[in-house]
Amino acid sequence: MSVLGVPILEGLYPSTMDLYPLEAKEFNRIHPFYENLRQKRFTTTKCKKCGSEPFPPRVVCPKCNSDDLEWVDLPTEGKVLRFTEEVAGVPLGFESPLIHALVDLGGGRKLISRVVNCKEGELKEGAAVKLAVFDIPPMIIEKKGVMAEAERVFFAFEPVKK
Amino acid sequence: MPDRKVCIIGGGMSKWGVREASIVDMTQEAAKDCFDDVPALKRADVDGLLFASSYCGRRSFQVNAAPVMAERIGLKPTSICTRVDTLCAGGSSGIILATGLIRSGMADIVMIAGGEKLYTPQRWETYYSELASIDHDWDGAQGIGLPPPFFSMTAQEHMKRYGTTKEQLSAVSVKNRRNGATNPKGHFQKAVTMEEVMAARPIAPPLGLFDCTPVTDGCAAVLLTHEDKAKELSDRPLVYIRGTAQATLHSMSMNWPGEHLADWLHLRTAAKKVYERARVGPGDIDVAQTHDCFTISEIIEMEDLGFCKKGEGGHFVESGQSDFGGEVPVNTDGGLLSCGHPFGATGIRQAREMLHQLQGRAIKQVEGAKIGLTHNLSGLNVEHTILIYGREP
Repeated sequence: MSVLGVPILEGLYPSTMDLYPLEAKEFNRIHPFYENLRQKRFTTTKCKKCGSEPFPPRVVCPKCNSDDLEWVDLPTEGKVLRFTEEVAGVPLGFESPLIHALVDLGGGRKLISRVVNCKEGELKEGAAVKLAVFDIPPMIIEKKGVMAEAERVFFAFEPVKK
Repeated sequence: MPDRKVCIIGGGMSKWGVREASIVDMTQEAAKDCFDDVPALKRADVDGLLFASSYCGRRSFQVNAAPVMAERIGLKPTSICTRVDTLCAGGSSGIILATGLIRSGMADIVMIAGGEKLYTPQRWETYYSELASIDHDWDGAQGIGLPPPFFSMTAQEHMKRYGTTKEQLSAVSVKNRRNGATNPKGHFQKAVTMEEVMAARPIAPPLGLFDCTPVTDGCAAVLLTHEDKAKELSDRPLVYIRGTAQATLHSMSMNWPGEHLADWLHLRTAAKKVYERARVGPGDIDVAQTHDCFTISEIIEMEDLGFCKKGEGGHFVESGQSDFGGEVPVNTDGGLLSCGHPFGATGIRQAREMLHQLQGRAIKQVEGAKIGLTHNLSGLNVEHTILIYGREP
């Protein structure tokens, strides 16, 4: 694999151009999120001291400052409140139509997610969607001069087929 | 510790647009224009530089850009020389910080410069880099770094909840492109008709081409100092920074602070604070530059800045209340929709236009303007920044 104009980068992994998180445990302390995701679980951290469950997951509770946290499950089904279908100008790394929805997971939790496995014109407001987990390109970690691939998954939501 | 009154005394801009120039070139152009605006000031008298740029690190491969810019401009700052990054609000953040430094006596004359070189040799990188502009690991990885989809959902929310129409969205674009048509520094010098805006190529419906700010290269610069020095350097009317506020309540879409996407609690939070600090209310504002990154943004800003009631922003714009002769003329130099939006430079461009308005020398002048407001929305609508300027401290 060559990099045009920058031949010195041939065969190297420019992680600062990686649109996905550096999920491997060597590079972050919330890697259980991604390991749970691989089991089709959508999780976050709960503070054992004050009970708060912020998302995204943390390493320190932003409410009470405790670092005694545990992993808990979030809902994996939700309802589409608003959505948008981008046909033109889709950024590199995503396919047209690029569909995004404001998804209500209940309990006051709403997030904006990509909607996959969905054709243009298929989605409706109020539709049920569920967590979709898929493989993304592995990240590369150099250990003692050897390049190792670390498998990765990421998530979006998809329509619940009736 | 002193408590000095702080004035803006000069402003400059490079030409904005798709530029055959680097960020270093355009910063020099903006600084030159700014020094030309205050002929009595020598470069050696400037003891501070704040450089506002978000993308110099990524698109120009230059972090720690402030010393580079100081050297190219010919400044030798001794009080402060640093870079500021608040994406779309970076310039305004620089002005807020400089105000504090000058007010407290930690600096005397500070240049706030900033801008972006957004166009890369290959166009994919220009757009791909946008994925860095929001909460990268969560929202960015969902592909919402390019903002039209987010603001499309915001517009749909406002339309369904309050009956706002596509014509009302378009009216923002028609007004701002008309205001910008006589601004030689902006990206566009061409007015557009309601028919053209309504029929434009869809980007993320209901938003079309003219509902969105373009991708623009450009830099801008302003100079701030304390009242006594301002009097010494210029015979023009003094323009004071009366109050500032910057509110952020979340960074990731799961934690959106409002009741719904068209409810901007963080903007109202910043507005409440800035009006208190400036000792004025929304009815006292004679002229405003608000962050029209999308037409829907300006409509919601009219509401949450308190210029009209919630839900009436569409009607407010359509009925001419934000135009010359209305309640409060907004984006008198063309705003983001006509000037473009090289992120770090936008708040500085707004400050320069406000300086011109309050000194009575704007290209499109609001007669007798005494109090002005500038506003930025930044990131994926995660922060709101407001400054109020006045002819009186």
